[in-house]
Amino acid sequence: MQTLKAKEIIGEFQQIVSDPAAAIKSVVAEKIVRVIGHLPTDVPEELIHAAGAHPFGVVVYDGTQVNRADEHLQTWACSLIRCAFGMALAGRLNYLQGLLVPTICDTTRTVYTIWKKVKPFNFMENFLLPRQLDRPSAKSYLLGEMGRLKARLEQFTDRKITAQDLYASIRLYNRNRALLRRLYELHVRYPEILGNRATYDVIKTSLLIPKEKHNELLNRLFHAVEQEAGKLKRKKAKAGVRVILSGKLWEPPSLLDILDETGAVCVGDDLCTGYRYIANDVAENGDPYVALAERQLAQTPVACFTNQKQDRKDVLLRKVRETRADGVIFVHLKFCEPENYDYPYLAETLNAAGIPALRIETEVGNVSLGQIRTRLGAFVEMLEGAK
Amino acid sequence: MAAPFRTVGLLKEVMHDYYAKGVQAKERGIPVVWVTAVFPVEIIYAAGLFPYYPENFGALAAARKAAEKLSAAAEARGYYADLCGYARCGLGDAYSKEHPVGEIVRPDLVFSCNTQCGSLQKWFEEAGRFYRVPYFLLDAPFIEGASTTLIKRYFVEQMEEMIDFIEVYTGRQFDFERLIEVLSLANEACRLWNEILETAALVPAPFGFFDACFHMAPIVTLRGTPAAVAYYRELKKELEERLEKKIYAVPDERFKIYWDHLPVWPRLRWFSELFAENGALVAVSQYTHSWTHHFDLERPLESMAENYTEQFVNRGFDYRVQLKMDMMKKYKVDGFVLFSNRSCKPTSFGLYDKRKIISERTGLPGIVFEADMADQRYFAEEQIREKFRIFFEQLQKRA
Ligand code: SF4
Ligand code: SF4
Repeated sequence: MQTLKAKEIIGEFQQIVSDPAAAIKSVVAEKIVRVIGHLPTDVPEELIHAAGAHPFGVVVYDGTQVNRADEHLQTWACSLIRCAFGMALAGRLNYLQGLLVPTICDTTRTVYTIWKKVKPFNFMENFLLPRQLDRPSAKSYLLGEMGRLKARLEQFTDRKITAQDLYASIRLYNRNRALLRRLYELHVRYPEILGNRATYDVIKTSLLIPKEKHNELLNRLFHAVEQEAGKLKRKKAKAGVRVILSGKLWEPPSLLDILDETGAVCVGDDLCTGYRYIANDVAENGDPYVALAERQLAQTPVACFTNQKQDRKDVLLRKVRETRADGVIFVHLKFCEPENYDYPYLAETLNAAGIPALRIETEVGNVSLGQIRTRLGAFVEMLEGAK
Repeated sequence: MAAPFRTVGLLKEVMHDYYAKGVQAKERGIPVVWVTAVFPVEIIYAAGLFPYYPENFGALAAARKAAEKLSAAAEARGYYADLCGYARCGLGDAYSKEHPVGEIVRPDLVFSCNTQCGSLQKWFEEAGRFYRVPYFLLDAPFIEGASTTLIKRYFVEQMEEMIDFIEVYTGRQFDFERLIEVLSLANEACRLWNEILETAALVPAPFGFFDACFHMAPIVTLRGTPAAVAYYRELKKELEERLEKKIYAVPDERFKIYWDHLPVWPRLRWFSELFAENGALVAVSQYTHSWTHHFDLERPLESMAENYTEQFVNRGFDYRVQLKMDMMKKYKVDGFVLFSNRSCKPTSFGLYDKRKIISERTGLPGIVFEADMADQRYFAEEQIREKFRIFFEQLQKRA
């Protein structure tokens, strides 16, 4: 195998992000599989995979389609959903045969029904998650819902999901998450090789292509990163500014480019398309459905779920301390009300703990980056000064 | 406009008593429990606790045109102006020193049910933190078509958890016989309320949606108590008298209209006059029909689970279209108005396509208009007036 530079391998990942349709075409050509899309990211992808289908995260944005759904949906819906729905209407998601929508907020709950009415896929389902996670009823219900989803998937793919299949899928997904966590460590250690944008793009790619392929690419990337790291002059970790991101998604992607320019390093997050996606594994023994449910319940807390036993503010504070972060950046998608409801108390908590924080409001698609650039720059500078 | 209802005096008394009980509850150490509008409040009444409805506070603040002021206090804390107006009023009041419509009653417990929306889940969660009291969420999964055993069982199990929680909190055993009494009172009030709403189908009608918005407070807050039953008996009696005396809601009623969903509170009068001027009676809305429950006393918890999870706001597209069309048919309406309410995503998303489909299927003229139920900053008066002008023209043409 010819050794490529880390940069070139990252380029391969980024190529997939910029044109997922092409990547999916090659998946389908290799093996006839059905592709089932899902909205980020609280769905048991392992179950879709075990049903012989390819789970595809609808997290790649063609921001130009954000207005495409306006005749069906008010412009005060979040741009994540407007854009996903818009892409479907524009025929940009025609390579999907199905869509699974986790019901996590009023927008997902209602838009699912409109979407199904005006532009249905062959297979359209909700994943009806419990929204309270801290009482026994949540787990027994979620197990039942897992069973319902299994039956629906089996019906659609015309194939029984065996325990063996599911174990195999779980192992594969765990392996991918473990590799991605290692990648994240390398990113924190060697941000000059694995920048913020590069790292988060690699995580995003994991939502798009088969995990087998992703694992292979990751191994090649590690190899290259380790070689390059050996040649680095410095002995100790770089003393740059360390930040944590909190919110739903890191959109628009240029946000991370801007952070790269400032020299700040993301050392953790609770984003659906970031570290939260890879933080928890599924147990590889016992009943696999119980294991899937337990993973869901144990995920990093976010605004859509009520969990008083694992309070979001405590988890965020712990994360700041564990990662020795200098500050927190809230990345809030306009019109995402769950995140907005959580902001004041999280901000207050950080303030009381003496942790600097900044909130920026973003949108998928056409946002002007000028102001974001100025504010992020000033924030990072302020953190630098305080170090 | 028709002469005011005699029962308005009684309504004031009934609601005054209710609020006084809230104050007394505080003095006597009876826990004040915040609940949501679609919530098995019968459990709270049966447990001898005092239920309080922050959404009503929001509606009241909005009707008195104080929403913007309260919202400003919430916005200063970092809540955006695009959140639900009720939530902004409630949170704004918590953070304000000034209370333009009186202070919201502070809770000892905060119970929320998310059948209606996620805003209530989040707003109440935040209130629990702010007032430093326990928070309990009753979680209602989305029901697209028919409900499932899984969902019903989940909701029943949660109500059992809630009853356990109340028992531990109060140190008293929950009395299921009392619950049956409360449920049968709720049945009676709901039956009367439904009969009252149905008088709007008469031509001409003595009662319409704007009247219902006014007279609905007891069915929301006092459902399950003798006070609600007594009130709606009186109101019904008065309606019968009015029919005899030929007093109608809109004096020269020519059209009946279906309205979806909430009213624009600070513009209640504005709209009721606009419709009356055009000889149109807004006869029916899903909103005021939300409290026409019927509980099966043989299976109280299961029946509550059905009533409180299967509300239209928690249902799929087709179900909701059908329900709207059924109401339009039953009330023999001539047109329909769908309110795209910026505060309320769960009732507003989907209205564009629903308008088209309903018009295609029924041949009725219909419009969607944009505004906010509480916040007048989103009320573009001229545009709205123009939209309605065209709508009334369409009605005239068809007549
Ligand atoms: S949680 Fe927020 S970002 Fe996600 S779909 Fe709902 S409103 Fe949109
Ligand atoms: S108006 Fe809508 S969003 Fe606001 S509390 Fe009521 S149901 Fe929820």
